[in-house]
Amino acid sequence: MVQAVMTIAAEDEAPRVKGRSRLMRSPQFSSFVILIILLAVFAVADANFLSPLNISNMMAFLPELGIIALGMTLLLTAGEFDLSVGAVFGLAPVVVMLLVQNGGVDIGVALLAGLVLCISIGAINGLIVTKIGISSFLVTLSMLLVVRGAALYITQGFPLKSWDQPGFFVTLLAGSFNIGSFRFYTSLWWFIGLSLFAIYILRYAKLGNWISAIGSNRNAAVARGVPADTVKIWLFIATSVLAGLAGMISAFRISAASPVAGTGYELEVIAMVVVGGTALTGGRGTILGTIVGALMLRAIRNGIVLIGVPGLAYNIFVGLIILAMLILHALLQKNAARG
Amino acid sequence: MMQDVLRLQNLQKSFGSVRALKNASLTLREGEVVALLGDNGAGKSTLIKAISGVFPVDRGDIFVRGEKVSIRSTRDAMDLGIETIHQDTSLAPDLSIARNLFLGREPVNFGWLGVFAPLDLAKLRKAASELLKRVGISKKLDADALVSTLSGGERQSIAISRAMQFAAKVIILDEPTNNLGVEETHGVLRFVKEVRDAGHSVLLITHNIHHVFQVADRIVVMRRGEIVAEQTVADTDLLTVESIITGADMSALLKEARAK
Ligand SMILES: Nc1ncnc2c1ncn2[C@@H]1O[C@H](COP(=O)(O)OP(=O)(O)OP(=O)(O)O)[C@@H](O)[C@H]1O
Ligand SMILES: [Mg+2]
Repeated sequence: MVQAVMTIAAEDEAPRVKGRSRLMRSPQFSSFVILIILLAVFAVADANFLSPLNISNMMAFLPELGIIALGMTLLLTAGEFDLSVGAVFGLAPVVVMLLVQNGGVDIGVALLAGLVLCISIGAINGLIVTKIGISSFLVTLSMLLVVRGAALYITQGFPLKSWDQPGFFVTLLAGSFNIGSFRFYTSLWWFIGLSLFAIYILRYAKLGNWISAIGSNRNAAVARGVPADTVKIWLFIATSVLAGLAGMISAFRISAASPVAGTGYELEVIAMVVVGGTALTGGRGTILGTIVGALMLRAIRNGIVLIGVPGLAYNIFVGLIILAMLILHALLQKNAARG
Repeated sequence: MMQDVLRLQNLQKSFGSVRALKNASLTLREGEVVALLGDNGAGKSTLIKAISGVFPVDRGDIFVRGEKVSIRSTRDAMDLGIETIHQDTSLAPDLSIARNLFLGREPVNFGWLGVFAPLDLAKLRKAASELLKRVGISKKLDADALVSTLSGGERQSIAISRAMQFAAKVIILDEPTNNLGVEETHGVLRFVKEVRDAGHSVLLITHNIHHVFQVADRIVVMRRGEIVAEQTVADTDLLTVESIITGADMSALLKEARAK
């Protein structure tokens, strides 16, 4: 835990200045504290929460939403968001599997086609948002319908028959391994690797400086020669590709591709990102916060069921906890301004 | 004779049916402060946006040090040594002072990595603190502080020092003292003089004629997209300038009133 706290401190802009108070006030730190409290509460309430089986289950599911959340964090920091990620999550594996099963295409070629598809969807989102100037809410909402509709139409609404050839790509994306009595999937490595890369980009790379500046004050960034539109288009593409990757991981893991997979994921992912402390209005983004947010939402969804909250009441709690987190961030932000 | 740093010739720009610039011509010499005056909507911001590459002009030529140039983007203008501080603030509030100072021209390691190159954070901080020290605001400000925690005057000083740091030939300020307190306003004006004394040329847009007489060498007045007057400060006075801006002959009116 001490180590985790220090990592969070390192991500803060100026740990040397007013170090402690700034750390305490940083949104990812407050999210982290709440995560620990939640984990403790669930662990006390139900001994099974920390059992190897339950932890393995949570970790199997975490990367699939977490990977999309990384892209969404960068996009939100640049001041845009993408509602079509859940639909892309569903469409990519459906297209890949259809090509393999009905078209007799090699799996590698099919995956490449899936990648091109995701790039195209992201590029179309980005081009319409930046070049025509329609808000990303409206553009990606329409895209959600188009993409989900396409997945339903080409499958006629039926899930594709299961995938039972373990090959190289399945191992690469959804292989599993055991550590003691824990069972982990390779997707966890993908999540960790991509998280580190995203932290690097946002915090230490020139690109991250541009992303934050664009979301903070687009005109100011453009006036300094920052290619704001190009950056945004590439972020839409990255988010779309990550959604497709997550979809493939999920489909390989459960050996099935369903046209309705990923329904509602867009909001779950955005919740993860903002609960972690990234501002919905752009300019302020934190990848560590998003990782904490992703862990938190997974833990809440899992723990609430375990401690016996009735299934139908479950979203009430999830919603209330998200709301409480956002209120906390808003109060901290108010305090920090001119503090 | 001092050299012409910037010369604009017959610039024209229309937004739909609005002719924001009609044949605007203007010359800026080395080491002088030119005040650009005019009522709201006269076309001042449009003129400087054209020079700074925010949008292209429809017609007309721009010369930098006698050489004809084409300015198609903000990057082009910056590369030509023209730095602009726009009316709508030029800083990103969620970034630190240091990051703002170098936005778009970040010092990096491993430059071949392009946009993925890591920022040289040590150099960034050091250069930022040095700059703040040079412009005399280092006592109050820390290079790592977020711009959102600064006052309007402090932000304006940061924006001006950023323009200075790249040794720009021309610094353009669009209403830099807007919304500033008395002390902060004097800070900015003092800054303008320092910038000039350091050899830069300044184009200053303002609605405050008193400021003009404090810092400017020359006055250029715009009305409805045209340059209607050009005078050296030494050869004119406040009332004359005011009357040119509004188009009414105020000094004549005043003489009349006195005579009565
Ligand atoms: N992007 C634009 N689209 C349409 N019309 C514009 C645009 N920018 C400026 N104009 C118009 O051009 C004219 C000149 O505007 P400009 O901003 O240059 O005035 P200004 O002299 O800077 O005024 P102020 O002192 O109020 O800042 C105005 O009539 C304005 O409405
Ligand atoms: Mg203006």
